[in-house]
Amino acid sequence: MTDAVLRAEGVHKSYDGLEVLRGVSLEVGRGEVKVIIGPSGSGKSTLLRCLALLEPVDSGGVFLDDAHLSGLPEKQLAAHRSEVGMVFQRFNLFQNMTALANVMCGLVEVRRLKKREARERALEFLDRVGLRDKANQYPEELSGGQQQRVAIARALVMRPKAMLFDEPTSALDVELVREVLDVMEGLARDGMTMVVVSHELRFAHSVASSILMMDEGRVIEEAAPDTFFSSPSHERTRRFLALVE
Amino acid sequence: MLASFDTHIFWEALSSKPYRTGALLALELTLVSLAAACVIGFFLALGRGSRSRAVRAIVFLYNWIFRATPTLLQLIFIWYALPQLWPVFAGSWFKVFLAAFIALSLNEAAYMSEIIRAGLLSVDPGQELAGRALGMTRPRILLRVIIPQAVRIIIPPIGNEFITLLKLTSLASVISLHELLTASQVRATATFRYQEAYSAAIVYYLAIVSVLMILQSQLEKRFTWSSAGRRRRRVAAPAVPAVSHDAR
Repeated sequence: MTDAVLRAEGVHKSYDGLEVLRGVSLEVGRGEVKVIIGPSGSGKSTLLRCLALLEPVDSGGVFLDDAHLSGLPEKQLAAHRSEVGMVFQRFNLFQNMTALANVMCGLVEVRRLKKREARERALEFLDRVGLRDKANQYPEELSGGQQQRVAIARALVMRPKAMLFDEPTSALDVELVREVLDVMEGLARDGMTMVVVSHELRFAHSVASSILMMDEGRVIEEAAPDTFFSSPSHERTRRFLALVE
Repeated sequence: MLASFDTHIFWEALSSKPYRTGALLALELTLVSLAAACVIGFFLALGRGSRSRAVRAIVFLYNWIFRATPTLLQLIFIWYALPQLWPVFAGSWFKVFLAAFIALSLNEAAYMSEIIRAGLLSVDPGQELAGRALGMTRPRILLRVIIPQAVRIIIPPIGNEFITLLKLTSLASVISLHELLTASQVRATATFRYQEAYSAAIVYYLAIVSVLMILQSQLEKRFTWSSAGRRRRRVAAPAVPAVSHDAR
């Protein structure tokens, strides 16, 4: 038993013989925010997809509240996926639904809530990301920042045990990044357990419980933000930070 | 030559009962065949993307057979040869409309499967990923997310299929279905007024297709997801590669 909400243990994952994850372990305690950085191709997104139960792992395991989930058959897996919220780089809002319908979708289709109840709850969460007045707009009519905030509400409304963010601001225009980070910072303050892949170092510095550096399918360094930025122990981390900043 | 065109005879043909019922029959046959083809084509489209090699082979075989042989031959085969192959079809319940319906819908399904497949593939894979991340099952994602978005893209090519199919119903005249072409042929040979008889048939076909075109543009607006789009047409939907089959 550990007190970790979300845990990965020695996760290996290959695509067509290419080993993307080479034994990744990770523990996220309740209310912790882990920020993962690393060069492209280092396996950050794949790790997040494994944590979100979207990809089966080759070996090792993913645990949610100490329940081993990564080995479950697809049918049972679907229900568990809703316990982990996932936010994508490209928002992936359902294009054929309004903002409100997007947020309601999981409640109606997965949680089997009545439409009226789902609508009330969805509005409440749209309000939380400051977009109640955009409820009836379609994704196409929203800015990137607004779309991402709706996507966050869509994941949040399921009351997940943890939220995963896969480069949530890297597809956004510079001036729209702030509004999304503000929402995420609010979540962190409220005690949401989060794993964030992001190169927003200032955000990482102020919000993260710890920062992880990934390279070539491994976590090569994990440290509290202050230590991580002031005295990274790994040469690879130093080189990477020099490039990002 | 044009001087001999008798508008009175033309109007008489146009408003005659055999033309009306013939046009109605052609329209009915088109609609039911198109609907059946959509359903069969949808499963063929899913089958083509199946993990099972056997399923993919069956779909390939189906499409191959129905696209490589003339529609007219398929029609004749089902009406004349099928009852000899399977005596069940020799019964009096096996009506000529039913035979035409079977032939046209099976034939059309082969083309429709390509259109539907292209439509399904044109939906951003991120949409399915987001649905899975929410905990939705694949059938629910198909129903709520992918199919509605694919429909928007396949409406224009389905409009084309409707037109093709409407014209193909005239082939059923050879198995003596009393559709529009049969009606005009009967009238032409009985009166020797070919120009008037066939012109009236042309008018009916044009009228049906015109109504379809209006309905189609309404439907396209219905499946455009922006509040502005419901008033104004969006610039362009991603195009589905046209399947060329005019020589069917």
